[in-house]
Amino acid sequence: MGPKALEVVIARRELVAPEHVELYFSHPALKEAVPGQFAHIATVGTLRRPISFSRIGEAGEAAVLFRVVGRGTAWLAERREGEVLDLLAPLGRGYPPPDPGRPWCLVGGGVGIPPLYAALGKWGRGMQSMATVILGARTAAAVLMADDFRALGVEPTITTDDGSLGERGTVLGPLRRWWQTHPEGQVYACGPTPMLAAIARLKSPGGRLYLGMEQRMGCGVGACLACVVPAAGAAMPPWRRVCSDGPVFAAEELRLD
Amino acid sequence: MAGQADLTPAGSVGEEPLAVRLGGLCLPNPIIAASGTFGFGPEYAPFVRLSRLGAVAVKGVSLDPWPGNPPPRVWETPAGLLNSIGLQNPGVEVFCRDDLPFLRQAGTRVVVNIIGKTVEEYARVAERLEREAGIDALEVNISCPNVKEGGIAFGQDPEHAALVTRAVRAVTDRPLIVKLSPNVSDPVAIAQAVAEAGADILSAINTVVGMAIDLERLRPALGAVTGGLSGPAIKPIALRIVYEVSQAVGIPVIGIGGIETAEDVLEFLVAGASAVMVGTVTFRHPRRMEEIIEALPALLRRHGFRSVNEAVGAAWPGRSGGGR
Repeated sequence: MGPKALEVVIARRELVAPEHVELYFSHPALKEAVPGQFAHIATVGTLRRPISFSRIGEAGEAAVLFRVVGRGTAWLAERREGEVLDLLAPLGRGYPPPDPGRPWCLVGGGVGIPPLYAALGKWGRGMQSMATVILGARTAAAVLMADDFRALGVEPTITTDDGSLGERGTVLGPLRRWWQTHPEGQVYACGPTPMLAAIARLKSPGGRLYLGMEQRMGCGVGACLACVVPAAGAAMPPWRRVCSDGPVFAAEELRLD
Repeated sequence: MAGQADLTPAGSVGEEPLAVRLGGLCLPNPIIAASGTFGFGPEYAPFVRLSRLGAVAVKGVSLDPWPGNPPPRVWETPAGLLNSIGLQNPGVEVFCRDDLPFLRQAGTRVVVNIIGKTVEEYARVAERLEREAGIDALEVNISCPNVKEGGIAFGQDPEHAALVTRAVRAVTDRPLIVKLSPNVSDPVAIAQAVAEAGADILSAINTVVGMAIDLERLRPALGAVTGGLSGPAIKPIALRIVYEVSQAVGIPVIGIGGIETAEDVLEFLVAGASAVMVGTVTFRHPRRMEEIIEALPALLRRHGFRSVNEAVGAAWPGRSGGGR
């Protein structure tokens, strides 16, 4: 199947937190989407905006959840139900299906949370007892999708930098404790690069770790080589493309120091 | 004007009004995917029928792999885009092994953009490509603003530009395009030197050197500090250089810079371009090149031209200004 140029109608728009908007739409081509993949959305300006799917349904229902950070996302946040979005989707490599025999921890920071919700939504059935969710944000108002995770039967552990909700500090505290008791566990993480680098340093040797990366992106399809992150090993050129080699990488594929 | 002896016979390429002949390079239409914006071809294949394009100019290829610059490598600007990719590429051997086979069967014309850190490296890349079928032209990149050695260094004075051109000319009979920089005080002097040194075609312009500041970090926005500006912001600069250079040299010119519509293409044609390269707009509208190809025949007719070739240089002094 592969990616396509799609026009989708916004079915629902929700302000989920201050400056955070979620747009719902559907298209048959999105049935194929994998959690961790993204839509490259035309806004104003020269470049599209890459946004990971927050929800993926079996009939092609999907959503994207984003923070307003600039002109493009501000324009997108102004869109209303019934308006049309121009997408290239689904793009990139998403998360692999989780190994049903391993404890599973989903660790998200800020707008890194939505793709993890999509992952639990797609693969969580029957794995609730194996799944741990750790959500981090600067402050209580920016903790995304906590109720959505609860609706899937998993009570998230929450951390905030300012202590306004859950444990004061970052996701690293609860994750370190989880990995001590689940050294063979599999961790799906998504968030700011410094957070992911710190998570990679915590990884237990017997565990598995998949990272959803972000980088300033151009084409979104692997052509322009803008959105690179450092590759592990002696690869030359020493990079991987977030848009097409990722956004999801096994921790061993990257050099995150 | 000097260019006419070479440009006029192109009208005999056939009945097809979009067909163009640039020296020995024959294209079904004048729309070429610009180097650096279209990867090696397969990346955009889900969205674009490559066979419909006039040609695909691939990402610059060097003798050995080049790492490129540290990220961030792109930054959006008003009506434009700054990039500092830095000519990352896997080297000519990997290109021939992994990328050329796809391009050969894609049904399009292939322009291989070549780069080097020394005159000899350019020549050796061209030499290596001589052993490969399915390449329709070489484009010598002496104008990338994102690398210090090679790249723009050779494009900034006529002597160095001629040296590189001569060295590549010596090893290939393929149509030879030389891509010019706008970051010089006298692009015509460089164009003339390159034409005398054996170039068959010029392409103009490469990106315009610039920079941006990220106010959140109070740092230069790009990892490499400076980058190359592309997009509609540079179209007037490109039109001026195409207009001047195309009148001054006796070889065809491919216009590049901010082209987003069929109207933009026609502007470049009448300014003196014989074909165009389209790049930055593809990022937002992958199908735009095909849409331009579909729209061009009617636009030409509306302005009184029976073919692309008839429009070339129509805005030059002494021309009637149209095909009426």
